[in-house]
Amino acid sequence: MKKIKNNVDAEVDISDGIPDTGCERNFRVIDALRESLGNGKMEEKALKTAYWLQGGGCGGDTFSFLSSESPDVIGLLRTLDIHLLRHPSLSNISPATHEALLEDIVAGRQELDILLVEGSVICGPAGTGMFHTVDGHPKKERVYSLASQAQVVIAVGTCASFGGFGSDDAIEATGLQFVKKQRGGFLGKDFTSKSGQPVINLAGCPCHHDVIAGALMAAAKGVNLELDKFQRPLEWYATTVHQGCTRNEYHEYRVEESDFGEMGCLFFHMGCAGPLVPGPCNKSLWNQQSSKTRAGVPCFGCTDPEFPRATPFFQTPNIEGIPLSLPMGVNRAHYMVYKGMAAAAAPEHLKNRKSKV
Amino acid sequence: MVKIAKGINIPLNRAEGDLQINVEIEGGVISEAWSAGTMFRGFEGMMRGRGALDGLVMTPRVCGICSITHLTAAVEALDTIAGVTPPDNARRLRNLALMVETVQSDVRHAILMFMVDFANREAYDKHPLWNEALVRYQPLAGRAAVEVIRESKRLIQVMAIIGGQWPHTSFMVPGGVTSIPEVSKLLQCRIIVERFCSWYERSILGCSIERWQAIGSVGDLDAWLDESPAHRDSEVGFFIRFSREAGLHTCGRGPNRFLSYGNLPLPLDTAVQGTGSRMLAAGYAVSTTVHHFEAAQITEDVSHSWYEQGSVPVHPFAGKTKPYASGQSGQLYSWVKAPRYCGEVVETGPLAEMVIGGNPLFCDMIEKDGPNVMARQLARLVRPTGLLAPMSVWLGELVDKRGDAFYRSVLTIPDGQGAGMIQAARGALGHWVKIQDEKITHYQIITPTAWNGSPRDENGVRGAWEEALIGTKVKDINNPVEAGHVVRSFDPCLVCAVHCLKKGRETGIVKLGFAQ
Repeated sequence: MKKIKNNVDAEVDISDGIPDTGCERNFRVIDALRESLGNGKMEEKALKTAYWLQGGGCGGDTFSFLSSESPDVIGLLRTLDIHLLRHPSLSNISPATHEALLEDIVAGRQELDILLVEGSVICGPAGTGMFHTVDGHPKKERVYSLASQAQVVIAVGTCASFGGFGSDDAIEATGLQFVKKQRGGFLGKDFTSKSGQPVINLAGCPCHHDVIAGALMAAAKGVNLELDKFQRPLEWYATTVHQGCTRNEYHEYRVEESDFGEMGCLFFHMGCAGPLVPGPCNKSLWNQQSSKTRAGVPCFGCTDPEFPRATPFFQTPNIEGIPLSLPMGVNRAHYMVYKGMAAAAAPEHLKNRKSKV
Repeated sequence: MVKIAKGINIPLNRAEGDLQINVEIEGGVISEAWSAGTMFRGFEGMMRGRGALDGLVMTPRVCGICSITHLTAAVEALDTIAGVTPPDNARRLRNLALMVETVQSDVRHAILMFMVDFANREAYDKHPLWNEALVRYQPLAGRAAVEVIRESKRLIQVMAIIGGQWPHTSFMVPGGVTSIPEVSKLLQCRIIVERFCSWYERSILGCSIERWQAIGSVGDLDAWLDESPAHRDSEVGFFIRFSREAGLHTCGRGPNRFLSYGNLPLPLDTAVQGTGSRMLAAGYAVSTTVHHFEAAQITEDVSHSWYEQGSVPVHPFAGKTKPYASGQSGQLYSWVKAPRYCGEVVETGPLAEMVIGGNPLFCDMIEKDGPNVMARQLARLVRPTGLLAPMSVWLGELVDKRGDAFYRSVLTIPDGQGAGMIQAARGALGHWVKIQDEKITHYQIITPTAWNGSPRDENGVRGAWEEALIGTKVKDINNPVEAGHVVRSFDPCLVCAVHCLKKGRETGIVKLGFAQ
């Protein structure tokens, strides 16, 4: 029996002329895959298939994913032997071919290993889904038919995970398995994909590129990620955005800011949610360079099921200078005493911070 | 001659949002077109009642590929309301981020979303350059596709250094920006931009930017093409050769009226030249005749859109966005509204910027052939030639003046109204905002795709790309790639699918989605 294996390419050196493009090889692989499918040898394939579905969203997760590094998107898909059946921004298959592909997946003739959904499932108005249609039909129908065929279902971004933008509005934006903190969502609380896993929620607006890449690696290699109560993988969502923030020393001694452009902590007045929500933003830097808090922008808590929060951004609701929402798991009385003492103990170089960010 | 009208389906994906286009074809030529956005997201409704600054966080999420442009429009509206002029360094940092976003969008759109169709086997396997197109543009594998993904990603690091991350940062705030990078990081940005620039010159242009800018006419362009193999083999050279063979200079005319809000406010003290207070001029052009731009002439018409109907088209400070989904009835067919300038349909985007800025090559192209797909797409592919040098200048000025202010404190936003009007990668973008008691009471957004991809207005006049589709020859109605090229030359911020109706039957048109 023939076993299909895509070759792992060396990174194409783009500094001096462009050698082999890999496109002919890709054709060979795809042709070989088709041949294999035709011979009913699907179970033998090493190639994994993935389909990226766009729901009610902005495409930001796709553009985040394109910032993956080591390996980049191209290297990642090749190394993992993932055949991307279709991506709405990257594929050039014709609508007719796309329709045939969808029919094959739904009929079970084409295996679907990994379904990635970006954007919410738009269910409005009044549950009809007619605010988002394909050929006159609600697009939500496509989400359901693909999810029921996939080995693994991944919600990419907060909108796909929890509804996100529009979850309180007429569009009735719904997450795949949650609406905000409420389990259920579009696919229902008991949904599991063919591999037995629930929807894997890669929260974030957008989701961090390293998380998307990492989740793809896990899915392709058959690793089941441990999930938190909102089905976010602990791998990236067990520590707060606060971990690794370069303003931590200021936070520690309660050296606070109440305006933009300074170096101190943004948690107490500027609405920073870094200590409140999980995420890897200060551990795995964005675009290999930085994070919002490092650039003086408060964390907006975009991995939280209730993002975007109802209260104004850039403000911290507080009582006597102590935020209403305290860092994860903290006792208010202890925290107030600790912060009072910490402020008194703050070193001069932090209190007298002169250089701006 | 027997008229033929058959149903077809055109691939118009690879854009943000959902779009469906219905066309009628008679005798192999498109005779009618309806463009419908099939997704309603209702951002404007989400904004009302929120905190005064929340547009800085919410509106970048309108669009994942032009998130900085929404941030820029949002902050300019708030600057106006607060009556504050950001310091020079804030201008430089804001402009740099916006320019990086535009440049990455231009090269990604050109290679990954437009020229990838040249590698479409069904459409072009008889085209003499098809094999080469495949080697260049095959998705995730073609040489140019791979290069663009890698090089644009590196350039994006500049936005992350300035704003923390991309997409979806909110580092622009009324009065300036939230931080200024350290000197070493500014120097690193300069290296990243210079490295990108040398790749752009080598791979995209095949010549230096200076050499490209010496092209002042179609005759010059032909001479440039013949001058060296490097020119012919570059992406620009290949694009021109492929497009001419495919006839892309003969289709996609559109309204032949252009709009630009102008862009990139100049620092008070800078070596970068501009027109008035901005680097790029605002204007309204009829063919290549440029007129003064007046913001008060903008109206939004919803006569064919799925919104609660008003009696007359109104200015965006008075406009509402109340969805009204009536099913498949009557003349309503899009979630996109129909913005008009002086009551006229206009085109916006890089070609409009070239015409309004008086670029001699593009003015000559339009005077000779009228607007067309090739000119429109070429304008996008070479727009970075005008941006990369000022980016380096501003980075140099930032290094020299790093100690100067980057933020003027704005502690509260007073009651008032303001507009942020800028040029996004895809064209004219406006945010119209009203604030009362530190809350948003009104938020209207007109995106470039609303200008270019609008439905008909109250006079039944087609939107820009609806108009551009008329007269397009379709060789194979089962794979009408030509219609795809026409719409895609406007860089639609929508995922599209084109359908064709039987003549006289309008059933089956419906629902379009729009990334707003």
